Amino acid sequence: MRRLFYKIFLWFWLAIIVVSVTLVALTASEYSRASEDEHWSSKYGPIVDLWAQREAEILDSEGKNDLLKYDSRFVLEPALRSYMFDASGSEVLGRVAPPRIMQIAAQLASSTQIEPQFYSSERIIAKKTIGAGGHAYVGIVVYPQPSVMRRRLFEFFSVDVDPKDLLRLGAVIAVAGLFCFWLARQITRPIGKLRLATREIANEHLETRVDKEVLTRRDELADLGRDFDRMAQRLDSLVAAQRRLLADVSHALRSPLARLSVALGLAREDVTPETARHLDRIELESDRLNSLIGQLLTMARVEGGVDLDQKKRFDLNLLLEEITADGDYEARGKRRSVELVTTTPCVVDGVPEMLRGAIENVVRNAVRHTAEGTTVAISMNSIPGPSGPRALIQVRDHGPGVPEAELPEIFVPFHRVPDASHQDGTGLGLAITERTIRFHAGSVSAVNAPGGGLLVTIELPIVSSSASPATNEVDRRIPTPVRS
Amino acid sequence: MIRLITLMRAELRVSTGSNTPVPHTPNVLVIDDDVELCELISQYLERQGFAVECVNSGVDGIERSLSGHHTIVILDVMLPDIKGFEVLNRIRASSQLPVLMLTARGNEQDRILGLEMGADDYLPKPFNPRELSARIEAILRRSARDELEQKPGSPERIVVDDVELDKGTRTVRRSGQVIDLTTVEFDLLETLLRTAGHVLSREEMVRRVLNREFSPFDRSIDTHISNLRKKLGRRPNGYDRIKGVRGVGYLYALAYDSDKGDN
Repeated sequence: MRRLFYKIFLWFWLAIIVVSVTLVALTASEYSRASEDEHWSSKYGPIVDLWAQREAEILDSEGKNDLLKYDSRFVLEPALRSYMFDASGSEVLGRVAPPRIMQIAAQLASSTQIEPQFYSSERIIAKKTIGAGGHAYVGIVVYPQPSVMRRRLFEFFSVDVDPKDLLRLGAVIAVAGLFCFWLARQITRPIGKLRLATREIANEHLETRVDKEVLTRRDELADLGRDFDRMAQRLDSLVAAQRRLLADVSHALRSPLARLSVALGLAREDVTPETARHLDRIELESDRLNSLIGQLLTMARVEGGVDLDQKKRFDLNLLLEEITADGDYEARGKRRSVELVTTTPCVVDGVPEMLRGAIENVVRNAVRHTAEGTTVAISMNSIPGPSGPRALIQVRDHGPGVPEAELPEIFVPFHRVPDASHQDGTGLGLAITERTIRFHAGSVSAVNAPGGGLLVTIELPIVSSSASPATNEVDRRIPTPVRS
Repeated sequence: MIRLITLMRAELRVSTGSNTPVPHTPNVLVIDDDVELCELISQYLERQGFAVECVNSGVDGIERSLSGHHTIVILDVMLPDIKGFEVLNRIRASSQLPVLMLTARGNEQDRILGLEMGADDYLPKPFNPRELSARIEAILRRSARDELEQKPGSPERIVVDDVELDKGTRTVRRSGQVIDLTTVEFDLLETLLRTAGHVLSREEMVRRVLNREFSPFDRSIDTHISNLRKKLGRRPNGYDRIKGVRGVGYLYALAYDSDKGDN
């Protein structure tokens, strides 16, 4: 999308082309007007010369009446006007002459010029003649101006342009094109670089800063670049600060629990069966507290988007296999099991550990609720979606299910199904799942499965339906350090 | 007060199936700024038969670690003066003293980083002190076994394709280039190479390499595998060396295996 570049480039170039062409046209028209004038004067000059001489002769020899006859024969074009002035400056036939003509007549009368005088722009030819009797006369003929419309059109379509001029015009347009290209590039390139940096930030690479090339300019775009860097720095610090806060909160809450736990271990050393039961209770509640803290912090992490810079492309299928294996191991300790019934290779963009946690919550929930001796079934398929293929993950258990009215509520934080006797869940697991899946542009829902139990469905957009060799492993990489 | 409760230790030893003895009165160094917790841990471990010393700062921790008095270090990630990871770095710079890291920070980056930097194991707070005790014993057992096996003069070498593992010098070479591995990564690679071409379950790996029982959702082995993969890199033809096998475990792929295609 380089529309700005083309806009600037093409409009400037067009402007220059229009100006150049107009200039050339004007020059050409000027030239052709000049040649037209030249043509007119060389054609009519001698005619007027002869006419003036003849009239002077007639005036001096035969008199005014004969002049009138001659003149009316000469003036064939209706728009043509002729005047004859004698030495005293008065028109011999009494015709009224406009002031300009009078002025010219007066000028010529007092000059010694006997060559025809041309006033091309006014289409006037004036000639001073000496008659046979030695009298001086000034003859003036006014020709019609070529009609404006005709002239302009005439010039436009049949302008006499030298092919060399066209070549020059072409050269000017080409040079202008190069200049405009460079101009447009100078403006749009830094904008392009800023856009690139903005996109990187949007993709959670908060260490991104604007290309040095933009900052070395000395204009508003460089200022924009500097402001951008400052903003990016702030974002970076904010996220880092949030990460630190979460770590500090975790540390603060878990340290007392850690002490409690070791003290509990010590207390179990010499203990009566009665006391042992109480200690068991203390341990249980302590575990629940720890679990809750973990969930709360995870929720804060998900909401804050703190881990989003770990986003990468990975194989969802492999992740699901690991979750199944872990879930099954835990379930077998409670005489239940977890099985991955169907799966398909599936590559997604996301934070693997976040998705692992999200899906695990659903699986562990299912294990907790499913009846003894039953199997929690997990499946993954690829289905077409409005904006591309999606992965459909389903977890089905054989537990009591959830009352219909409550189904949409189970993803709300701390929601408790009223008649549930299972108190092991913290009430946050599914809420975390919902948030996490939403962050990954997916959706999660639950229905009661036919035959009993709950069926949870997770949908996630996939990148492609087949794993490429590069993503053959679930790679848990160390996060890249933030650029200082 | 040191009260030896050999019964409990014997129980633990039997349950993990190893018969390498734990060193007599192992000396534990605890580096944690939580004074009260240190006190409690000391009390508990002393009842298990350990001698315990506590320090509360990173600087003291480094000094004491390098003194040679201790057989294992318990190190907290969050210290007041210098970072726990820095302490680990300094220790590893000149010693293979076993280190068990503790953290209350609740993020997995700590675990990944710690294990990659050479910590032998990792325990999040709060922990069951029985678990702490068991892990210490597992680490000490492994450490003792490694020392016994490291017989100079009869170097045992394992060669699989372009990877060469020398038990005598505890070095690993890939196509002649020396690869820097932590003690656990070395043991893990040895186990994988010995069973190259065959799948090893995660439970089995934890038992053999970490000398303790597997617990679900324990990601230590996966982290070690990941770090090992990173350090070794892929084969020249682009295929993985260590493959994850569906729901079962991992295997070290032999050259002709991986050329046949992915599983």
